[in-house]
Amino acid sequence: MLAYTIKRLLQGVITVWFIATATFFGMHAVPGDPLAADKEVPPEIWANLQARYGLDKPVPEQYVIYLGNMLKGDFGISYTQQNREVNDIIAEHFKVSATLGILAIVFAAFGGILWGALTALYRNRAPDIVIVFLVILGISVPSFVFAALGQLGVVNINNALGFTLFPVAGWGTVQHMIVPSMVLGLGTMAFLTRLMRSSMLEIANSDFIRTARSKGLPATRVFRKHQLRNAILPVVTVLGPSIAAITTGGFVVEMVFAIPGLGRYFVQAVQQLDYTVIMGTTVFYGAFLVFMVILVDLVYGLIDPRVRLE
Amino acid sequence: MSALLEVADLRVEFDTYGGTVQAVRGVSFELDRGQTLAIVGESGCGKSVTVQSIMGLIPMPPGRITSGTAKLDGKDVIADKRIDGKDIRGRLVGMIFQDPMSSLNPTMTIGEQIAETLQVHRGYSHRRAIARAIELIDMTRIPEAAKRASQYPFEFSGGMLQRSMIAMSLACEPSILIADEPTTALDVTIQAQILDLMRDLQRDNGMAIILITHDLGVVARMADEVLVMYAGEVVERGSVDDVFYRSAHPYTLGLRAAMPSNRDDAAQELTPIDGSPPDLFAPPAGCGYFARCPHAMRACETEHPRAFELGEQHRARCWLHHEDCNVDAGEVFRK
Amino acid sequence: MAELSFEPVRVEREVETISRPSLSYWQDAWLRLKANRRALISLYIVIALLLFTVFGPFVWTVDPAAQDLDQISAPPGADRTATVVDDYVPWRGVTVELPAGGSPPAAELLAPGAVSVQGPAETRAVRLAWDPVNGAAAYRVYRNILDPEPDGALGLPIADVLDPAQVSFEDRLDLKPLTYFYSVVAMDALGNESSAYRTAQVDVTRVITAAEAVAKGLAEGGDALQPGDTLKLAAHPLGTDYLGRDLLARLMYGARVSLFIGIVAPFAFVILGIVYGSAAGFVGGRFDQLLMRFADFVVALPFLLFMILLRILFGVGAGESGIYPMMVAMVLLSWPGAARLVRGQILQIREEGYIGASRLLGAKTNYLVLRHMIPNTMGVILVTLTFAVPSAIFTEAFLSFIGMGVAPPTPSWGSMCNEGLKTMLTTPHELIAPAAFISITVLAFNLLGDGLRDALDARMRSAE
Repeated sequence: MLAYTIKRLLQGVITVWFIATATFFGMHAVPGDPLAADKEVPPEIWANLQARYGLDKPVPEQYVIYLGNMLKGDFGISYTQQNREVNDIIAEHFKVSATLGILAIVFAAFGGILWGALTALYRNRAPDIVIVFLVILGISVPSFVFAALGQLGVVNINNALGFTLFPVAGWGTVQHMIVPSMVLGLGTMAFLTRLMRSSMLEIANSDFIRTARSKGLPATRVFRKHQLRNAILPVVTVLGPSIAAITTGGFVVEMVFAIPGLGRYFVQAVQQLDYTVIMGTTVFYGAFLVFMVILVDLVYGLIDPRVRLE
Repeated sequence: MSALLEVADLRVEFDTYGGTVQAVRGVSFELDRGQTLAIVGESGCGKSVTVQSIMGLIPMPPGRITSGTAKLDGKDVIADKRIDGKDIRGRLVGMIFQDPMSSLNPTMTIGEQIAETLQVHRGYSHRRAIARAIELIDMTRIPEAAKRASQYPFEFSGGMLQRSMIAMSLACEPSILIADEPTTALDVTIQAQILDLMRDLQRDNGMAIILITHDLGVVARMADEVLVMYAGEVVERGSVDDVFYRSAHPYTLGLRAAMPSNRDDAAQELTPIDGSPPDLFAPPAGCGYFARCPHAMRACETEHPRAFELGEQHRARCWLHHEDCNVDAGEVFRK
Repeated sequence: MAELSFEPVRVEREVETISRPSLSYWQDAWLRLKANRRALISLYIVIALLLFTVFGPFVWTVDPAAQDLDQISAPPGADRTATVVDDYVPWRGVTVELPAGGSPPAAELLAPGAVSVQGPAETRAVRLAWDPVNGAAAYRVYRNILDPEPDGALGLPIADVLDPAQVSFEDRLDLKPLTYFYSVVAMDALGNESSAYRTAQVDVTRVITAAEAVAKGLAEGGDALQPGDTLKLAAHPLGTDYLGRDLLARLMYGARVSLFIGIVAPFAFVILGIVYGSAAGFVGGRFDQLLMRFADFVVALPFLLFMILLRILFGVGAGESGIYPMMVAMVLLSWPGAARLVRGQILQIREEGYIGASRLLGAKTNYLVLRHMIPNTMGVILVTLTFAVPSAIFTEAFLSFIGMGVAPPTPSWGSMCNEGLKTMLTTPHELIAPAAFISITVLAFNLLGDGLRDALDARMRSAE
């Protein structure tokens, strides 16, 4: 297990290096000048800016400096907001995105497992049919539509109640977090419910469930200790990729609900072509996702003895 | 003394997309204490469904038990698996299955899975149940039982797993052990060990065994009584000697001819039974074996044969035994 | 039992009866697919969508860029009649005589005594007049589509009337045939609003002048139209957007963009994946290891960043439409999934007995790949392709939504959603229509994919 962990972490570091390198050379392969703004800049100011961002040095040297800075955890200074360091931006806004994302994934995972288990218990009866229908709807509706509908719902709830139960936008209190994280988790929850359902049904037909029943165990015990526990395993394996989906979905939800997260900041940087912010956030997100996938795999190893003891 | 288990007129149907399959069509048998009953027949003849319906393991739907009783110690367990308010399964009847690799929960240790039965039926504490589980593992001749108890199924070989299954099914000292093709998925060398183990445990514990197999070699080695099933019916039953040396149904003879033996006549040829079993969506009005039978007669096509008595326990469902039937029956034993 | 006959009969026996006609793999798959009602309906929906996209614009020949300013943000099936009126005549408004030097400041500004509508309330203008308020230095006019009672929500301030003698206002701002609530509030010299207000409820009717009707081709000649006649305006079955463009026409043209990306991009990256995966699987060994490790890295690459780089490479500026960069980015970064799958299949098939048998009979490598390996992976590939379509449509919608894909005025379902979102609270149909099209398409492809998977490969069959 330890050797496996070290191997996975090493692979993760190499992947992050690959992302950073691809990002750097991708940016430099693009023709044109990242500092060329809409308005003309006097040559001496332009030269100053070049020096400030280190763009006057040869590309290989820039690459070495870039990697060195990255090792130190320094992503440079924003192009558009020239007083802000990318590190500060990430440090300030990622907290918000991470909170939103964690709430969403927890909501999605618990919801998915719960609904999936319910559908399997009530197979082909009303609860199953209703949930399966909702699930199909859930995986077919884009995240921004959920976000928009969620906001519309909030407006209607507040109107009906006559006071603000959930704020329509913004961030800060628990009330701010509930609706956006639910909206963000909805698509993933639908996907996980579907997975959980088919996993439950597959396990229900498996030989070891028959064995458990032949031992005369009460139905609840068969369900809990034998069926549920094994059916959750495939759900855990897809949590890694789900985190990636939730991260991307977070961009949209943060935009719609005006949440000051890194995702919204990233989209803004993309729209303003703020190169250092884009590069910094990209590498940061890349590294984050790579290590989250590794983390999920390691956690899976703890749950599944077949992997743990390899 | 009445029999330990008495099954009468058991009928089981399955709803499928193609229609309703009559998988078991009126099976009856008795099992005495300490006795070994073998049920033989080719795939799909209904032998597994018979025991699974007694154990309540038929998925319902699509399965359906349309009639029949199974009296364990005189109490019917078809509708309710409980006697004295407690589940008979694992307590009075233990069961092991064909494929030990998939029949054990992959995420629970072997010891836990054995102990579970004791905790549920005997109310043992976790600790006491585990201690007993280790004894049981040891009893099935698995070395280093204590260490093995804390291991997971994937760390075991197929033979070891089947031994663990046996340990698990015998945890509560049941009076019946049902073994559904216990050796089919195992290597030949392991097969003999498992069968020896079962016989030894039977001698020690005095339990009855229902052994389902399609291997006549296993039957000859283990069984006291034999039930030959074909197309959801018992076509012949009797003692091992009756069935092997006085085979009274053409199907039993067909099975014997299709089986290799270790007798001296090395030149013997294996003869397959031509054709395939009848469509159980619409079972034939007459004998199910009619279309494949070398002795087929007019009556066999339209009239369902009754069970003719050939000896004290020996019965065969074949018109050849009718008193008016005079045709040459070849090797078929007749009274 | 006397009637029993024990005469031996010969039963005709065939050793192996083949009761069913032999079906090819694809025939069998088609039969299974046909038996799956959900998948079959989905297939019909997909076909209908393609017909809608390809032939729709020939049937519904409305220009998706044309603005119908009479019907802005009109909901589907709205009442589309307009009353013919005379040409617009400017209005001088209503003024009152104030004492010289203006009215003296009052301790408290009251609400205007009454707010009345002068003349007919029409979509081209609503004319309001109110009773002067003692001490008012100016008036502010609010407009709301909801009743301000009981919350006191007055809506948007649409005008400040800075002359206290002027007690009227002509609203010509983007009026729709709805019920409006106008509220008038008096202000003091410092511009502070009084808390008291007076509201008038106004039902606005849609009007059109004869000249306009002729210019828009709604009537033959202006002479035939008399004021007071009603006229049918251009039909918009799904309504119009915030610029008065026909939603149905835009959905059809948008479908061309969305489905083009949604179908062509998956085709391209699945083909790339097949080539890459079969090369890795067939050659095997070190080469395979190397290729698959590279694929792992590509999976980890950030999609959005490459999108941006490609947009710059293609010379697409911010806020412009970039269909091709989007497709290229999808193709360059999405192939590893398909490649991995094909490689797995090839590795598995390579070990199958029939490959060995074919090799023994002298089959060449090319023949093996083309005759045995590719056909046997077709099922998996087809299923992958079907599932890739919805995710590509989602990606297009997502990118267009954040402004990195198709930008206005080019319609695509994603960019239409983006535009519709802005007016979601007042006219939700502008969001719902494109979102419904995305959802139905994605749903149909998902269910079709499920059906194909079940039909093509029993081993992959889902438990549903």
